[in-house]
Amino acid sequence: MVRWIFLALAAVAVSAFAEPVELQMPNKVVAKAEYRAGEAGKPTVLLMHGFLQTHEFPTIQRLADGLASAGYSVLAPTLTLGVTHRKQSLACEAIHTHTIGDGAKEIAQWVNWLKARNASSIVLVGHSFGSVETLVYMSAQRDPLVRKLIGVSAVEGRLKVDGAQREKVIEELRALVKKGDKKLFTQAFSFCPKYLATPQSMLSHLEWTPERILKTASHLPIPVVFIMGSKDDRIGVNWIDQLRKSRLKVRVIEGANHFMDGDFEFDLLDNVLLELKSL
Amino acid sequence: MNSLSIGRLSLIFVLTAGLLVIGLGGYFWHEISRATESLGVSEHESARQEVAQALQTTVQHMRESGQALANWDETRQQLVFPEYYALWRDNRVRDANMMPRSVLAVALYDKSGSILAKQEGAPALPDRLPGKAPLSIYLSVAGQHQVDYYIPVHADAGAGILLGYLGLKFDLLNELKRAHSFRYADLSGLVVRLPGNSRIDIENSLAHMRFGVLKNTNQVAFQRLFQDALLRLTLAVLVSLLFAAWLLRNFLVRPLHNFSNEINAMRTVSANLPHGLIFKTPLHITELESVRQAFSDYQERLAALHESLAQNSRDFFDQARRDALTGVYNRRAYDEDWHSLGEDRRLTNVALLLFDCDHFKAINDTYGHSVGDAVIRAIATSLQAALRGGDKLYRLGGDEFSTVLVDADPLHAEAIAERCLDHLTAHDFRQYGMSEPATISIGVAYSQAGELSLSELQKRADLAMYAAKRPDSPKMVIYSEGMGELTALVANQSINAVFQAIRDPGLLEMTYQAVMHLPLVQKEYVEALTRIRFNGELIRPDAIFPIVQARKLDSEFDLAVIRAIARDMANGFLPPGQGVSINLSAPSIVNAKVVDAMLELVRVQSVHPGGRKIVVEITETALITQMELASANIGQLRAAGALVALDDFGSGYSSLRYLATMPVDLVKFDISMLRLLENGDPRQKLILEEIAQMVLTAGYELVAEGIETRAQLDKIIGMGFTHAQGFYFGKPGEEIEPLGHS
Repeated sequence: MVRWIFLALAAVAVSAFAEPVELQMPNKVVAKAEYRAGEAGKPTVLLMHGFLQTHEFPTIQRLADGLASAGYSVLAPTLTLGVTHRKQSLACEAIHTHTIGDGAKEIAQWVNWLKARNASSIVLVGHSFGSVETLVYMSAQRDPLVRKLIGVSAVEGRLKVDGAQREKVIEELRALVKKGDKKLFTQAFSFCPKYLATPQSMLSHLEWTPERILKTASHLPIPVVFIMGSKDDRIGVNWIDQLRKSRLKVRVIEGANHFMDGDFEFDLLDNVLLELKSL
Repeated sequence: MNSLSIGRLSLIFVLTAGLLVIGLGGYFWHEISRATESLGVSEHESARQEVAQALQTTVQHMRESGQALANWDETRQQLVFPEYYALWRDNRVRDANMMPRSVLAVALYDKSGSILAKQEGAPALPDRLPGKAPLSIYLSVAGQHQVDYYIPVHADAGAGILLGYLGLKFDLLNELKRAHSFRYADLSGLVVRLPGNSRIDIENSLAHMRFGVLKNTNQVAFQRLFQDALLRLTLAVLVSLLFAAWLLRNFLVRPLHNFSNEINAMRTVSANLPHGLIFKTPLHITELESVRQAFSDYQERLAALHESLAQNSRDFFDQARRDALTGVYNRRAYDEDWHSLGEDRRLTNVALLLFDCDHFKAINDTYGHSVGDAVIRAIATSLQAALRGGDKLYRLGGDEFSTVLVDADPLHAEAIAERCLDHLTAHDFRQYGMSEPATISIGVAYSQAGELSLSELQKRADLAMYAAKRPDSPKMVIYSEGMGELTALVANQSINAVFQAIRDPGLLEMTYQAVMHLPLVQKEYVEALTRIRFNGELIRPDAIFPIVQARKLDSEFDLAVIRAIARDMANGFLPPGQGVSINLSAPSIVNAKVVDAMLELVRVQSVHPGGRKIVVEITETALITQMELASANIGQLRAAGALVALDDFGSGYSSLRYLATMPVDLVKFDISMLRLLENGDPRQKLILEEIAQMVLTAGYELVAEGIETRAQLDKIIGMGFTHAQGFYFGKPGEEIEPLGHS
């Protein structure tokens, strides 16, 4: 109990020092972030939110607070998704033109920003689809300061269809993209029953299949750790097993769901801290 | 101030009350209307406040809605990457529920104020930002009230980086209705009047708005309720007033009105009192019922009194028309009946019978008044018994009676007259101590076929009676044309002469018969004898005095005679110093005018140089009914210097009885007594001589009249008579010589 009270008070104290940060991206769009400065010598943690979310998402906030309390510098940016100064979760029905690569580029800008802040080492922690975003970043624009990638409740961009149909959709999208067709279409995607997006946007997400995720993660030159909840219902039924089979490090928090909320946030924090300490 | 009737007063009261009720009703109606009007003004003000509040809320809502939309990430997304702006504008904004339903259109403008994409169709926002945002503009488009609201869109609230502008077009009415549940304002007819094509900020639009006020159903209901209640109350009061008026009229006004009418009727002499039918019905008001009962009792008593008075009146009327002595109708009844028959009316089968007792004065003188009265009663009884059942018998005066026979032809009338005579003849007058029966004379006249009027009938009956009274005439005379002309002429002339002489004493032509003093046989004075010169004829006393007596004109005629004698004295026809004897009838000696005239004459002569002797001869002494007054008047005449003679002594009209009571100076023996000196038996002569002696011994002077021969003169001189007169000394009027001549 004493620990909870201490952590709560510490979170309040730390959050008070959370610094809002804005960073103009190459496309002139301004991205917002929250930076908590930690102890020197400790790695800086870049926390990436999940699909369509912001850095205000509770799982991110709690984890950021916990890490900051532990003395780590924490940067929690919000992907713009094509919206300047975005500060709200983007609705499923909004017009989605952003690609997963756009997000990776923004992560690269934030890594640069951290480097400008003299970060000695950077650990990327992604939540949910944020894990895929960091993986995409790592696969495309790997920076030497990035020493580790931790995927929490990592999940692919999922269509609520079987594999064959998914492939069919992907093929159709590819054909559209190839034709340069920018006509928006609606598709049940991830947690969105009606996701409105351009073919290119949708395709960028769907192309990162679980297999591609596993393959990419397995081939990264830095340690990749997946922290999963045993009760996560947003992931595939055998996703954790697939992760384990790919010889990737997997930490499973028993009983935790996709958002690691409740008592499991501390388990998440503990696991992350363990990974940070092991850096 | 004129008094008001209870009916009018009640009407005024009811009308006043009715007007008051209507006035009060009108006043309250007016007050309700005024209160309603005041509420209307208040509601109008409330409506205005309501609209103002709704407008404020709307403006606030527009700001909040616009700000929320401006702060929306996707709005900024479109301003930065407007590739899918049309989709966002037309679908996404609405699908995201980021726009109120009252928003008709939305548009984004870049920083220069140009719209991101032109919007087709209506309603649409303009292509250019109309002014500096934030800005709200009222528009009226096709009768629709719209407000265009523009707000700048920044990258971040704190950053102040302008990304562009957001435009929203609101449906003002929907927005107002959404903002406020209107209770007072009726916006269905909202009109915003703007000068020219000017535009206004929606925040300042209230002053330009014209709108209605919702009907306050409760207020209308209450107003209607109050007005209906007032109307019903007024009607109820008016109906009550009418009912009260009906009650007042039937239970108070009408009874009082009837009372008043009854009382007024009682005040009217001609009213038939009392009828009282109205007051037989009991009244419903206790006090009025008490008055009714009292009045009814009073009326009944009054009716009884009235009946009693009427009976008394009838009795008095009857008594006034009845002769107290005989019980038959009197002269008054005769005159009234005559008048009612009509004096000028032509009569058919009507007969008039006049009855007159023969020698009634003699009966009175001989047997006394009580016997005379009994005779009169007996005559009345006999005549009444002889007449038919419906015939009326009138006593015209003294011993004179009459009757008018209706539906009687001459034979019938004659039969009735004869029956009257028979009845009287059958009456036994001996029961009154009379030695001979009383008889009557009857004059009959009739009009058979409308040829006569009553007055003409009266004259004929008078003439018939006149004829019946003549010596040797039958006791019943029916007027006939054959005997009537001369008689009528004479009679008519005599009657007219008498009346004319009374009016004009100049018609009296006086003759004077000498009265000789005995035993020297010297003329001492003259006795005035009366004649009338009328229409060239000389009417003699035997024609004059029956008329005078029949017409009861004794006093009037004597007065005319006194004036004629005074005239003769004045004009010297009676020489100065020539004594004169004047006859006065019994009625005249008790008549003040005659006595006064006589006294005046005596006084004038007493102061006249040489003077003259005035003798007053009282005739028909027996007819004097007021003996005391007669004696007093005689005393006055004597005191004035006149001598008084008792005329006709020894006849039926005068007897020894009057010598004891009447203060006279001379006693004038009736001629009938002197006839006894010649024709009577020794005993009668002796009685006469003794009476003469007795009168002389008592101190009276004794006058003998009717002396026609020397033997008679010698005889009376022998008996001691002091005076004598008669044809022996000359006929009246032959000469009037001075005193001392014979």
